[in-house]
Order: sequence, then structure tokens, then C-alpha cells
Amino acid sequence: MTRGARRLHAEPVAIVAAGVITPLGADLDAFWSGLLTGVDGISPIERFRVDDLRVGRGGEIKKLPSVSDGVGCRASRLLLAAAADLRSRATLDAPGDRIAVVVGTALGGVEEGERALADDRGPRRAAAARYDRPAHALARALGADGPVLTVSTACASGATALGLGADLLRDDRADLVVAGGFDVLCRFVMRGFDALRSLTRDRVRPFDRRRSGLLLGEAAALVLLGREPDVRGDRLGRLLGHGSASDASHVAAPDPDGRGLEYSARTAMAQAGIAAGDVDFVSAHGTGTPLNDRIESGVLRRVLGHRAEAVPVNSIKGALGHTMGAAATLEAIMCLLASRHGAIPPTAGFEEPDPACGLDYVPRAPRRQRPRISVSTSAGFGGCNATLVLEGEPAR
Amino acid sequence: MKGARVAGVGLVTGWGDGVAALPADAARAAGSRRVIAVARPTLIGDRFRRATRECVLGVAAVNALLRAVGDTADTIAGTDTALVYATAGAYGAANRAFIEVTPGAASTLHFPYTAPSAVPAEVAIEFGLRGDYAILLGGVSATQEALWHAATLLGRGACTRALVLAVETFEECADLYARGRWLVRWPLVEAAACALVVAGEATAPAPDVVVRARAGETGACAPLIGFALALAEGAVPAP
Repeated sequence: MTRGARRLHAEPVAIVAAGVITPLGADLDAFWSGLLTGVDGISPIERFRVDDLRVGRGGEIKKLPSVSDGVGCRASRLLLAAAADLRSRATLDAPGDRIAVVVGTALGGVEEGERALADDRGPRRAAAARYDRPAHALARALGADGPVLTVSTACASGATALGLGADLLRDDRADLVVAGGFDVLCRFVMRGFDALRSLTRDRVRPFDRRRSGLLLGEAAALVLLGREPDVRGDRLGRLLGHGSASDASHVAAPDPDGRGLEYSARTAMAQAGIAAGDVDFVSAHGTGTPLNDRIESGVLRRVLGHRAEAVPVNSIKGALGHTMGAAATLEAIMCLLASRHGAIPPTAGFEEPDPACGLDYVPRAPRRQRPRISVSTSAGFGGCNATLVLEGEPAR
Repeated sequence: MKGARVAGVGLVTGWGDGVAALPADAARAAGSRRVIAVARPTLIGDRFRRATRECVLGVAAVNALLRAVGDTADTIAGTDTALVYATAGAYGAANRAFIEVTPGAASTLHFPYTAPSAVPAEVAIEFGLRGDYAILLGGVSATQEALWHAATLLGRGACTRALVLAVETFEECADLYARGRWLVRWPLVEAAACALVVAGEATAPAPDVVVRARAGETGACAPLIGFALALAEGAVPAP
């Protein structure tokens, strides 16, 4: 049994604005409307060879905005596109040396590494293979001269990045933090998940009785964080808590009892100073794999207690695929947009309930509900787990 | 950071075990060698047969730490211990092995080891570490941020101790480093280091990272080697 969390309460941090690029569209509005209207972000992959793989579909972004033209590395281009969207919604109103960048990624510049080992023998390509290069490219583009951190807690990276970004503000190491996550859909990762037999030939069906695996996607998602008292005007909401934990169980599979995920959820809620009764909505990791969804549902049942079946739980991975390092940030943004617009996106692909999961997974249509407090759970290779607690804010 | 100190460092480098193995002048000791590699440590257990060399080096560094501070593995198991891992490029060898494997021969076991998270995962599994967890990528600055994060977690009461682990391997990608040879400081010295950060008053500030002359280019391990040298001189440094 996982012991209770004892993390001391931490000051909330304001989430001022967000910017994204996803398979559903090239900005925040397209992302949100796509989730609500059921746009399918999954398509045949066109950018690289997939004819030798079992599955050749994914959440591929077909066209990148021109803002990133001239940047060679696709990972950096995604980040710059998300940053452009963010900057269209908020101003980075602080000296450069007081602006920090914290981004999470599972794959970094690995596609550049593939090219460096294949046909490009130049030094630049090899250097671009480093996983921390895209974060530095983003910082340069933003004029951010403060701390630049690259987080890689696998598919929980986008949550860990927000947690660390909040700590940079609390510790007065920055006045503004651009935090988030990214990853590209490339042959390296498609081959890997194909070899693991994790990819489905069906559609992604989180929490559905017929679920048979995940599909991958690519995206970048960024938020602008600021100290609560310093932020004037409109904001998306607040980050109330962050928790992380290791499963210490298996290098690829989740802990059978979900101990790490449960510990991360309990520590995040303790940091936020909330109880199970305060939770209005859960954005689940919800990959659509048989194991993850059952284990995660069990964790949520324990954490939420007698209210578990009354709290709506969704997964957006059926709509755009598993966007790896970007996923947790996208899901956090989705939580805040749900509060703002009074609607919870449905779990695309969920049609037939699985008794082994057994929660309210928001089937078929958006739920007209305005959650105030949301919990967003994430997990990844290596037994990485991270949970965020968010408070949304209706539009002023 | 106020209220935190580095209580010990476990260190394995291409020069040998601990700071005593470091040469006085790395460049001179390396001679014409560009990479000073670490042999794969011998660890017993089925899990380690399929784990990568960098994973086993991470475990070896924690074992070295436990010997250095006189603790047992039981002491650090559970949710009271945070693990923060930093590396500049220890994932490179596994990535390359996966990219260059014969098409169709990719094993189902190999791919998860390409993730940077594989190294701390094996460490967490080996020692039963279930507390707060973070992985930072980059060189010296990543480790410095890892030390800051460890101190932050301690200060918040999120853990009673934190392990800051760094691992660097270079041998498998030496030709890639050589492509950008004007960007690389030779010799590249493989290393694994783990610092124990606990609450308490330090008597010295964090040491400057000036270990390159003695140890060579050790990437993210360099700050922890600096701590190991400071501890060897009797200091109680702050993270």
C-alpha cells in the first residue's frame, strides 16, 4: 500500500496563457474545437517510411506554420510554432535573464541522430541529436536568458516540466517561465513501439472493452507561468500542485498496482491542499493499452474514494494519439479550457465500457460541465509518474 | 541552498574508482586516447543481463555511494528518497544501437532502454526508490539544476534524502563526437557519480566545477566529481 503523501503545501502558480501545435490544428483554438467536435487527428503517416511496420498511422502534423521556416530540426520547429501561438496570446513582460524555459521530451532530437547516422556526416546534425538542443533553440527564439531545463521523464515529461517551472518561480529564479513539452513522430519511435506490439490496428479506444493499444502523435504545447501576485489581467488558471514518483517496478511496463502513479497523485493533491471531494474532473493518461487503463482506473478509484464513479474522467489520446513529451502539457491545457468554456471533451474511441475500468469516461459527446479543480495524471517508460492539480478560471 | 548539504558521493570513472583514481593531469594521462572508457561493472542478476552499460553504471555509482557513506540499500528504499538523474548523452549508445540494428531484428526488450529514463529506472528498481523523481538532460548545468531540485524537495519536506545521479558514456558514439571535434574537450572520460543530499548545514559553498584538468570531460558528472574532491578534503559542501 502506498503511504500517504506528506508534501508541504506550496504556493499556487498562475498559468497565464497557452500555445500549441497538434494534429488537430496549428493553434489553441483549433485544438480545443477539434476535441469538442470530434476531429480525428489520426492519419496515414506520410513524412517517413512505414511500409515495413505493422502500423503506419499516427497523429502526424501535415503542415508546419511558416513561423518556423528555416529551422532545420522538426522538434525545434514544433516548439517555435507553439511559442508563436503562445506569444499571440500573452506578452513575455520581463527582462530576458528573468525568463526561464523548461520543456519536457521523450525523444529530443533523436530524428537528427537518425540522419546523422544515415546520410548526413556533418557536425551540425550530430550536435542537433542532443535531446536538450530544442529547448535552447526555444530559449534563443524567446530571448530567454534565464535557466533552460530539459526534462525527460518519458511520457510524463510535459507534467514534470510544469512542476519544475513552478518551483523556479517559487524559488525566485525567474519571473516568468515558459514550460511545456514536445515530441516528433519519427521512424525511430514508430519502429520502437511497433516492435513492442503496442500500436493498434484499430482506432485508439481508451478505457473501452475492445481497446488494443495506442497510436503515436506529435505536438508541442507550452504555457506561460508567473507568480500569482505578479500576474495582472486575464489568465487561464492556476497550477496548484505537482507530484512525481518512480514505480521501481519495470523498465517498460507500469507497476501492476499503480503504486507510483498513486503516490504522485496523492503528493500533488497534498501540495495543492485539496481532498478527493474537491476534484471535479480527471484528465487521465488513458493510452488505450489494456494494462495502463485498467491500472490507472484502479488508482483513480483509490485516490477518489467513494466519489470515484461520480467524477468525469477523459482521455484525449483517442483524438490525436499519444504525443509523448507533449501529452501531459496538452492535457493540462485541456483541463483549463474545460473550466473556461464549461465543457469537458469526450473520450474519443470509448464506446463499450470495460467492467475492469468502471468509471465515468465521458462517452461520445462533450459534457456540459465547468470543472474548477482538475487532476491530470501521466506515466511513462522507466516507471515515471507525474500528476498535476489545476484550477481553471472562467473567462472574465 | 540553505539547510542542505552533500553528505557523500559515489564515483566510478574511466580512471578507476573514487577520486583517488583521478590523475593529476587528465590530458597527460590520456596520451593519445580520445575516450577513457569504463568497463561494464559486473552485477549479478537476470535483470542486468539485458540492461545497458549505462544502466549498470548508474547502479554501480549508487553502490559506491552506499559504501562511501556506510549505509545499506535498505536505508534508501521507499518513498522517503528522491532520485534526480542528469546526463548529457548517456542515451546515445542505446539510441545508436537501436537505429543501426538490422531491420526486422529489433528486439522487444531493447527499445525501452533507448529512453533516458532507463538509467534511473534500473537504479530505482534495484534500490526500491519510490519517492519524487526527475530526469534532466544537458551537461554541467543539468546536474546543477538537479542539485537545486534535490535541495528544493528537501526544503519542502517532500523527502528526507535525495540522490543526485549522473552517468556519461561516450565510447559507442566517439565518432559522432569527433565530427564536432572543435566543440569537444578531450579526453572524454566516462563516469557515473551519485551524490547524497540531506538536510543540514553546509560548511562550504558548492565547489566550482574546475575538475576538467584532473578528470577530463565528464559531462554531467563534473559537478559531482567536484563534490567528491571537496568531501575528500574534509569540506561539507552545500548543493
